[in-house]
Amino acid sequence: MAENLISPPKVEKITLEKPRKLKPKKPPVKRLLYPGLIFVALVTQIPFIMTIYYSLQKWNVMRPDLGIDFTGLTNYLYYFKQPQFYTVLKNTLILTFGSLILCLILGVIFALLMNRQFFAKGIVRTMFVSPFFVMPAVAGIVWKTMVTNPNYGFSAYFGELTNSTPIDWLSQHPLLIIILIVTWLWTPFFMLVLLAGLQSLPQELLEAAEIDGANKGQQLLYIVLPHLLRYFEVVIMLGLIFILQVFGEIFVTTSGGPGYASTNLSFYTYREGFQNWEIGGASTIGVITVILTIIVMTFLFSFMRRRFKEELM
Amino acid sequence: MKKLMKSLVTLITYVMAFIYFFPILWLFITSLKQEKDAAIIPPSFIFSPTFEHFHEIWNNGVAYYMLNSAIVAIASTFIALLLGVPAAYALALYRIKRSNDILFWFISTKFMPVAGVIIPLYLLFKSLNLLDTLSVLILVYAAMNMPLVLWMMRSFFKDIPYELIEASQVDGATGLNTFFKITLPLVKSGLISTILLSMVFAWNEFFFALSLTYTSAKTMPVYMTAFMTQEGLFWAKMSAASVFAIVPVLILGWFSQKQLVRGLTMGAVKG
Repeated sequence: MAENLISPPKVEKITLEKPRKLKPKKPPVKRLLYPGLIFVALVTQIPFIMTIYYSLQKWNVMRPDLGIDFTGLTNYLYYFKQPQFYTVLKNTLILTFGSLILCLILGVIFALLMNRQFFAKGIVRTMFVSPFFVMPAVAGIVWKTMVTNPNYGFSAYFGELTNSTPIDWLSQHPLLIIILIVTWLWTPFFMLVLLAGLQSLPQELLEAAEIDGANKGQQLLYIVLPHLLRYFEVVIMLGLIFILQVFGEIFVTTSGGPGYASTNLSFYTYREGFQNWEIGGASTIGVITVILTIIVMTFLFSFMRRRFKEELM
Repeated sequence: MKKLMKSLVTLITYVMAFIYFFPILWLFITSLKQEKDAAIIPPSFIFSPTFEHFHEIWNNGVAYYMLNSAIVAIASTFIALLLGVPAAYALALYRIKRSNDILFWFISTKFMPVAGVIIPLYLLFKSLNLLDTLSVLILVYAAMNMPLVLWMMRSFFKDIPYELIEASQVDGATGLNTFFKITLPLVKSGLISTILLSMVFAWNEFFFALSLTYTSAKTMPVYMTAFMTQEGLFWAKMSAASVFAIVPVLILGWFSQKQLVRGLTMGAVKG
């Protein structure tokens, strides 16, 4: 390396250059960022601003005779008065946090089980991970038909076994089944991230604790879990991004019903926009969805930061 | 005693993995059954297997929709890489003012629910007569996956010792040369898993696909829901169609599972 630094052509080249070019030129790295920045801004940010604009209008695509009126905040006031709006809001929160908590619990259990040496570990991991790659549409189909159908399949079979009327899960507990589907799809991701965290834990720490007389439970509580905090934060953030937007699972299984019993904000936007053709209404729900997402994210992270401040620092 | 405990935990692991994987296994099994065996009570593992449903679905032209999905997944991933990799490279290896803010901005675009952008995009593409074309899906998926590419690739680039790149620059290689000859080979496995994950997300995406296509640009998830509406009572046939829909990504996923986590978590955990 040193040889190259003082190699003749280089020296010659530098001496030939004008003095102001002698300064070490910084690579134009900022230019590498602009195409991506501009592209993403065009496709995500500008449409959102347009969504805000449309949310202030009364506009039904199927009724061109009514025209487009600028109505200010009327749409918002309208939805705040609708009882189903609060059902949808509640569903969104239950669905999101229900799935999140189940994913966390199962994710921790699976990660702990996988953080050991045993026969055929690779195959077992593949079996745990597989649901993550199944498209929501197919996951919904599998659960709707084969698992929860009251007349055929497993639900019917268990009904027969226990000598009771099989439960029509999707019409009696629609939200619960959707939470289970989402959990089934997303737990593998939680497991993988937490497993990565477990594997980055220095073994000496555990050995030291064992010498000091800590039992398995104490080790888990005082060493393993605090170490995992950072990983919990990452997995909650990435998981929430996707779980807040659940759509396909609902579309395929219940179409948001019965009534509004399993409609979340994403699906409500779809119903208003692509079934009722209310451009203004759908945009209003879209804006509310974004605001709620931001609130949930901010709230959760400021809470986690405060709660675990010492450990995270 | 301790040994017994260990085998017991291993046994529990096997049982849980089996239960967890069971819906997928059952889907595969059902796809091989005859229609009369598919919905039978009690559900049975014993039957004479048949490939007739796969033949039928294939002859009905599932390949067209699979090709749509594949084109959309590959093209959008290519664009996402083209824009995301240079940005990740810059953010990982150079001191850039407010680089954390830039990174956070990109990630925060992933907070944006589809619901927040779908109406204007739909109206825009409608007015441009671009609804039901593959190009609009490619465009939105590229934007959807670019922050993901940036996020993952940044953490892979960060693992490269900077001296390596410096050394090659001293040797007189130009920036682009360094990038292709030195940097890229070092992050090869990370790059591959990023590509696979981006393709998986594009293949499985549903909300945009449902809203922006009807017939000719339909992708596999939309095809599946249409299939369910029409033939939802024919479990075996529907299972065969589902197998076509999930097998390509299952295979991609199995290959990328190890690398996947590293890219997604390390950047955030190590800062």
